[in-house]
Amino acid sequence: MAAIGSAVGLGNVWRFPYVCYKNGGGAFLIPYLIALFTAGIPLMILEFSLGHWSRSPPPLAFKKVNKKLEWVGWLSSLTPFVVASYYVVVMAWCFAYMVYSINLLWEPDAESFFFRFLGKTSGISEIGGISIPVLLGLIAIWLSIFIILYKGVDRIGKVVAITVPLPTALLIILTVRGLTLPGAIEGVSYYLTPDFSKLLNVNVWLSAYAQVFFSLSLAQGILITYASYLRRDSDISNNAFITSLADAGTSFLAGFTVFSVVGYLAYVKNVDINHLGIAGPHLTFITYPTAISLLPFASAIFGMMFYIALLTFGIDSAFSMIEPMASSLNRKWRISKFKATAIICLVGFMASLFFTTGSGIYWLDIVDHFIANFGLVTVGLLECVTLGYLYKVSFFREHANKTSDIRIGRWWDLLIRYVVPAILVMLLILSIVENLKKPYMGYPVYALIIAGALPIVFIVIASFVLQRVKR
Amino acid sequence: MSLPISAIVMLIIGVVVLYGGLAYFIYRAIRSKKE
Repeated sequence: MAAIGSAVGLGNVWRFPYVCYKNGGGAFLIPYLIALFTAGIPLMILEFSLGHWSRSPPPLAFKKVNKKLEWVGWLSSLTPFVVASYYVVVMAWCFAYMVYSINLLWEPDAESFFFRFLGKTSGISEIGGISIPVLLGLIAIWLSIFIILYKGVDRIGKVVAITVPLPTALLIILTVRGLTLPGAIEGVSYYLTPDFSKLLNVNVWLSAYAQVFFSLSLAQGILITYASYLRRDSDISNNAFITSLADAGTSFLAGFTVFSVVGYLAYVKNVDINHLGIAGPHLTFITYPTAISLLPFASAIFGMMFYIALLTFGIDSAFSMIEPMASSLNRKWRISKFKATAIICLVGFMASLFFTTGSGIYWLDIVDHFIANFGLVTVGLLECVTLGYLYKVSFFREHANKTSDIRIGRWWDLLIRYVVPAILVMLLILSIVENLKKPYMGYPVYALIIAGALPIVFIVIASFVLQRVKR
Repeated sequence: MSLPISAIVMLIIGVVVLYGGLAYFIYRAIRSKKE
């Protein structure tokens, strides 16, 4: 349940429907499902198996594989920690909008969201002040993460028992409401009508693999950590299938939630769907609230439902990003869970503060782009190479088979050793080529170095340092 | 306006594979716990 909570996050709602629509609509389901079964689930089985076998957080798990590989574990624990520092800021935006939804206090247009709410500055070099509503939301979210994590795995279990089914139920209600609105079917038609010619484009296939890879919380040490808490007789393969399909199923459902309401908005405003923001912050803080405000009745209730759903989807992902580091500090240096969690949350909070400034959204965009396209892909590749070549990958298959109802065959070894690394190398090359062709989103090079390259360099150096520091 | 046939086909594929698959694996988990 915790792994499902970790995998299902904001990206399922604000990224998948858009990626699907952009890459051939319903036809995108074909590469997406193939990516899920050939890369997502096999890699998840590997991470579950490593965590379950080692009963340790990532650094100690990799150390058990080979003493020299502890840094790979630190790398995969530090990466989600950096992601959490800006992910929590986006949750703080949702928190503020949830409060606004009580009286429909938002003014859903780009001007209000970016300039009045976030206090966005005219350029990245102008830092600007801290947005107070975002700061308050940030404090609330970091405090929640601390309270959930410091007591350990029992409290995580109790929290996810609420935060996994609740947002799914809310999403179903919002979808049903959305589908009964005029224009909804046109919206869904945009989402699902397949354009099979797109399947000939290699970028569509890479987008499918990237979507699966980022959505399932792979290469972030999270699944290794959670699997280390599983009972000895837990079914590893079945857990991987359930987690992956629940994540993909939520993304698929979110497409109906989003496109039905976007279709309604296009109908009311008499504009083409292409002219409306249907991804990321535009969808969440401009398009969706605009549509909610135009609902004939109970706008505030549906608005609140939407943001509660986002917050509850996000909170499991957010605390799962902190848990690998907290657990690693706790296990390696015997720091109490309370202290370890407090240290990590405090450092995370300080780092998040930077993203609440007027230029925060620019920095957030750059860090996210580089961590996702280079950081996570590299960690995934390292996992496959270290466990697939330097260690006998069949050992982890056999370990999974010992406790699993569904036995996996030798094909799995081939996927881990050849298919997944090949896809990850292609994703990496594609990202490098694109970033060399032109600076990402036209940002100045110094900003790309500070927010893009430096965090990655910091993570790599810190991983080696943490390996060297003795117990 | 109604959904094009091709969209309905993709809808059915998505529902069967994702939710059908999820239901199947949850069923297997429950069955093996009972055993």
